[in-house]
Amino acid sequence: MTELEMSTVTEETNPMRLETKVDDAAETTADAQHHVFNVTDLNVYYGDFRAVQDASLTIRQHEITAFIGPSGCGKTTMLRCFNRMNDFIETARVEGSITYHGVDLYDPAVNATEVRRRIGMVFQKPNPFPKSIYDNVAYGPRLLGVKKKAELDEVVERSLKGAALWEEVKGRLKASGLGLSGGQQQRLCIARAIAVDPEVILMDEPCSALDPIATARIEDLMQEIKSKFTIIIVTHNMQQAARVSDRTAFFTTEVNPDSDRRTGRLVEFDRTKKMFSNPNDQRTEQYVTGRFG
Amino acid sequence: MDELRRNYHDDLAHAKDELVRLAAVVTESIPRATAVLLDGDLEGADYIIRGDDEIDARSLDLEELCFQILALQAPVASDLRQVVALIKMVAEVERSADLLCNICKAARRIYGHELDPKLRGIIARMGEQAQQLYDAAIESFVENDAAKAAAIDDMDSYLDGLQKQFIQAIFESHAGGRIDLQVAVQLAVVARFYERIGDHAVNIGERVRFAITGWTPEHKGAARFRTRVDLTGEIPRIPSAASFDAATGDGGGLG
Repeated sequence: MTELEMSTVTEETNPMRLETKVDDAAETTADAQHHVFNVTDLNVYYGDFRAVQDASLTIRQHEITAFIGPSGCGKTTMLRCFNRMNDFIETARVEGSITYHGVDLYDPAVNATEVRRRIGMVFQKPNPFPKSIYDNVAYGPRLLGVKKKAELDEVVERSLKGAALWEEVKGRLKASGLGLSGGQQQRLCIARAIAVDPEVILMDEPCSALDPIATARIEDLMQEIKSKFTIIIVTHNMQQAARVSDRTAFFTTEVNPDSDRRTGRLVEFDRTKKMFSNPNDQRTEQYVTGRFG
Repeated sequence: MDELRRNYHDDLAHAKDELVRLAAVVTESIPRATAVLLDGDLEGADYIIRGDDEIDARSLDLEELCFQILALQAPVASDLRQVVALIKMVAEVERSADLLCNICKAARRIYGHELDPKLRGIIARMGEQAQQLYDAAIESFVENDAAKAAAIDDMDSYLDGLQKQFIQAIFESHAGGRIDLQVAVQLAVVARFYERIGDHAVNIGERVRFAITGWTPEHKGAARFRTRVDLTGEIPRIPSAASFDAATGDGGGLG
């Protein structure tokens, strides 16, 4: 098993997290150490179908990055590249490069399981295991070899607190995770994701199955945990992207007039404030103002 | 490509049209107010003063519409800039209409007093110039022309110059015994009203630029202040919200 060659970056080593205003001018090469992912000319294929074409962007540490765009624009495909979830699709193929702290994620020497430990994922539909709340959260740590009950207890409590669920479930940890409400189940999945101490959390439309209050709770939670994690979220809800993210990437679908085939294109990637107040690209402008669907 | 959210876009277009209509009323009223002043047309004065109530009412309605769009439609990008610009612009238009009323009220106060040809000439030119500025501001908005909007600021300096000339002419006329002190004061104030209408047109032009390009007016004073704070570390006299929180120990945070 090849360990990724990097040290876990802690809060102390990251002076520019939280609300510190970062000037664009100040984003020089010194900023490079805060780059979690560097994506260069990424193309993703399913068989001979190209789902994402020539995407390049940088994901920065302790920021929330949102991917928006119409259905079929490749945003979820792109998200799944960051923890090699596309490996599970036989026909999927990735070209170009994604580096994680400078290490090529798709290098054959890189252990995909270790990638997924460091880069966790929360899905659209809450998917707790049909196990107790406790066992859901303890699942990952147990896989990683944690056996002592005291240690597991500590991880479960810390993770549930981190996902703002502890107060609601601390009296019924042995109850099934499936007995929780939708919003609670989603927070349980977040607790499960953070239990293995990842650096990055990928969220694929985490609130689309939730009511507005449960959604607001997850959005608040994202703000609370972003000092510890780097978050990438795919969302259909533009206002959600505007509310929660620091940067937004807009993808769109391009149709090749010759072959009539569609492909996803990254149109614009910038600070969220800029994207929603004065985007550079006309296509972004049209999409966020609802002038095309 | 299909257009989505049509009703919302109709509301936005309606808000823009209404601002243009209100501004057009002001533009047309400028020569009327000048005629009131020069010809002692008291009926015209009444007409403009009564018309101001309608402008007030419609300005409020437009502001309400913008507020509603913000609350219900969450506009972004150019739509957001337009709504924010409209809220600022409607205040400029409403205030300009008030200034026209003030010119008419001054006309009533100096009714019956003869004015020098020189004074009359400058008043006519101030009126024309103010109307031209307003015309250009509204045209730039209708045509989405940021360059034209930016030019209004330069045009305004001519009106400022006319105002200074006028004040000089008032002194001369008063010194020559052709107008009494009360009339002189009224006329000085009138010159100020024209000059202010020009300033409002400049402000509208700035908001048009903002709506089109996202450029925000960087007034000389504001720029000087920012440079001083950045370079010399001058401490602002008005505490910012953040330092206020710290000082009162009432700091927010997520709790």
